Amino acid sequence: MKKVWRVAATEYLNAVRSKAFIIGVLAVPLIMAISIGAQFYAQKKTDVTPRRFAVLDRSGQLYPALAAKVQARTDGLRAGAKSVSVPLKEGQSLKVDLPPQAEFVVEEFQLRGDDLKAAELQLSGRVRRKELFAFVIIGPNVLDPRATNGTEVLYHTQTPTYQDLPAWVENTLSGEIRERRFTAAGVDSKQVRELSRPVTLQRLGLAEQKATGEVVQAKRENRIATLVVPVGGMVLLYLVVMTSAPALLNTVLEEKMQKISEVLLASVAPFELMLGKLLGTVLVSLTLSALYLGSLTWVLWRFEQLGNVPGQLFAWFFLFQVLALLMYGSVFLAIGAACNEIRDAQSLMFPVMMVVMVPYLMFIPVMESPTSPFSRGISLFPPATPMLMFLRLAIPPGPTWWEIVVGVVLTTAFMLGCVWASAKIFRIGILSQGQAPNLTKLVKWVFSK
Amino acid sequence: MPPLLSADLKRPAVRLANVTKTFGQHTAVRDLSLEVPRGCTYGFIGPNGSGKTTTIRTILHIFHPDSGEVEVLGERSTRAASDRIGYLPEERGLYKKMTVRRVLAYYAALKGMNRADAAKAITEWLAKMGLSEWADKKVEALSKGMAQKIQFIAAVIARPELLILDEPFSGLDPVNLEVLRAAILELRATGTTIVFSTHDMAMAEIMCDFIFMIYRGNKVLDGTLADIQRQFGEDTVRVGCGGGAELLRGLPGVELVRDLGQLQELRHPDAQALLRDLAPRTTVRHFEVCKPSLHDIFIRIAKPDLQEMQLPKTTGGGA
Repeated sequence: MKKVWRVAATEYLNAVRSKAFIIGVLAVPLIMAISIGAQFYAQKKTDVTPRRFAVLDRSGQLYPALAAKVQARTDGLRAGAKSVSVPLKEGQSLKVDLPPQAEFVVEEFQLRGDDLKAAELQLSGRVRRKELFAFVIIGPNVLDPRATNGTEVLYHTQTPTYQDLPAWVENTLSGEIRERRFTAAGVDSKQVRELSRPVTLQRLGLAEQKATGEVVQAKRENRIATLVVPVGGMVLLYLVVMTSAPALLNTVLEEKMQKISEVLLASVAPFELMLGKLLGTVLVSLTLSALYLGSLTWVLWRFEQLGNVPGQLFAWFFLFQVLALLMYGSVFLAIGAACNEIRDAQSLMFPVMMVVMVPYLMFIPVMESPTSPFSRGISLFPPATPMLMFLRLAIPPGPTWWEIVVGVVLTTAFMLGCVWASAKIFRIGILSQGQAPNLTKLVKWVFSK
Repeated sequence: MPPLLSADLKRPAVRLANVTKTFGQHTAVRDLSLEVPRGCTYGFIGPNGSGKTTTIRTILHIFHPDSGEVEVLGERSTRAASDRIGYLPEERGLYKKMTVRRVLAYYAALKGMNRADAAKAITEWLAKMGLSEWADKKVEALSKGMAQKIQFIAAVIARPELLILDEPFSGLDPVNLEVLRAAILELRATGTTIVFSTHDMAMAEIMCDFIFMIYRGNKVLDGTLADIQRQFGEDTVRVGCGGGAELLRGLPGVELVRDLGQLQELRHPDAQALLRDLAPRTTVRHFEVCKPSLHDIFIRIAKPDLQEMQLPKTTGGGA
């Protein structure tokens, strides 16, 4: 066992001292920071040039109201706050800049005669010459709810990707037209609004009764606790396992190609070598997850959200991480030992990756219905258990105790089986040369003496 | 190296008894028995693919024999002695991204050496090999010769009782070759048993107390050089004459002509008859009846393989 730890320690130190590890650790937060920073930067660089547009109001009634609303919007933008405060801990808040918006400038276009096509052409020319950003043609019968012709509002521009102006025009005109239709029909629009007010749905957990008989009211559902923590935790678990385990394949293949394996095998038994590498990788991965979880814990504490993460979830995370790493890692080690080239390894990796992807492909139905027979069954399928049982554990109220026990026992047994079979393949494969074995041959190696 | 008990000293360093190892349908080593006495230098020779590396790996317990018994440094059929064995494989294996010192420290640790002893030994060996200034450089920065010397240090760092060297001199320039040879002889002088495989017959003749040859998985030679030469009789003749190798090849009874330049070496069952045949045809400047060289013996045994492999004919210009 001493040699196993020596191999493990060397593997661990080689990995954590490497540039790849440091870059890997920093990569996720760095990418997040860059993307957030880029968004803020892009926001500041938003083009806020006033958007001038012309309105040809063929209804003859809507332009004044529209112009008034444009003015009200401009006044609001000029007078309104440029930022909002997001409360943090007591007495502290974070000032967040609001995205800047362009002002709109409206002008009326009078139709001379009935030549709508000529008017369209004229306005289009002004847009092309950049005198206008867009123009709007309001249909003559737009206020008549029963009309079938002339009811449309047409928006013309040569910058169709800009959404603020057409969206605002659509909303504003819809509101104005609806109000006028109510008035024309003799209906009190205020009353209509009151009567058609939507009901709000409150999401709650379940009420409980304590041993003392006291009834504890159901708490309001917290989306962070019920969605962000389970999915985020599972994705993080998947991420730390999948950034560590496949690296074993490359390490052992590289050692084999560089003829280091033979030197090592003169000093350590193949199983000691394999186990040492496996444990070294487990330690690397645990370091990685400790760094990530530590940082996330600090962020959650800083925003007073740590209470949404049950403490025992951290323990489950590390347990399932170790089980998954030993299970997947041993398989990747065996493939690396059996092959002589990365190309051969890739073809053997394919069926393994299909199995490894199962939890990632299945997590949505499990998340939506964590206690369904499908979710229960798939979370007891050992290759998927670490991720899916963790997901179920993170979604309140979690699986029953016997499901957790069965899941852990089955996964442990399966992991031991993987390590045993991989050790057999590793022992033969590590010194084999020539053509890479196929799956049938690997199975033969497993059951060879 | 821990002190050896007298009982240990009497036992051979390596003992193989009726060892057979097969890979699928191919028998790499067949019913091989071998004893390597303590403190000697034992040369393994044989053509490529004859079973040398399999035998070495079996001694190292990297391979388990299908049948037979393997005893190394008194330990029978276990890896218990692995910390007392140093191994330099034919194809060198060093971590390219690690520094020289860390690679050596790792290999020493795998042999059970403590950190302080390993650090001291690394410094000493690097100085001996003239590589002190490379201690903290990455292995990838070393030349081939330097890397080979580092690999050698990795094999001997833990002061092994048994040192197994697979082609230790291949690819070395004469200066580095001498450095390595001196280091091996020094280890032998301190009691280390040396087993080394080589294709360099001249080196095997100079360095080895015993020579073992394996051919197609079977032991074909095992003994001292003198014993082996005695087995092959005195049918080797060195001739210096006008007409050289071309003339000699045409004479009856002449086999395996090696052109050594000024002289030609050949086999003939009757040296007197050869001299009688030569005298009327050319001027004979030199005529010497001698024992066959190890090279000659190797060629005689392995000639069928070499012909099959379409290697340059030995009758052409020597080997």
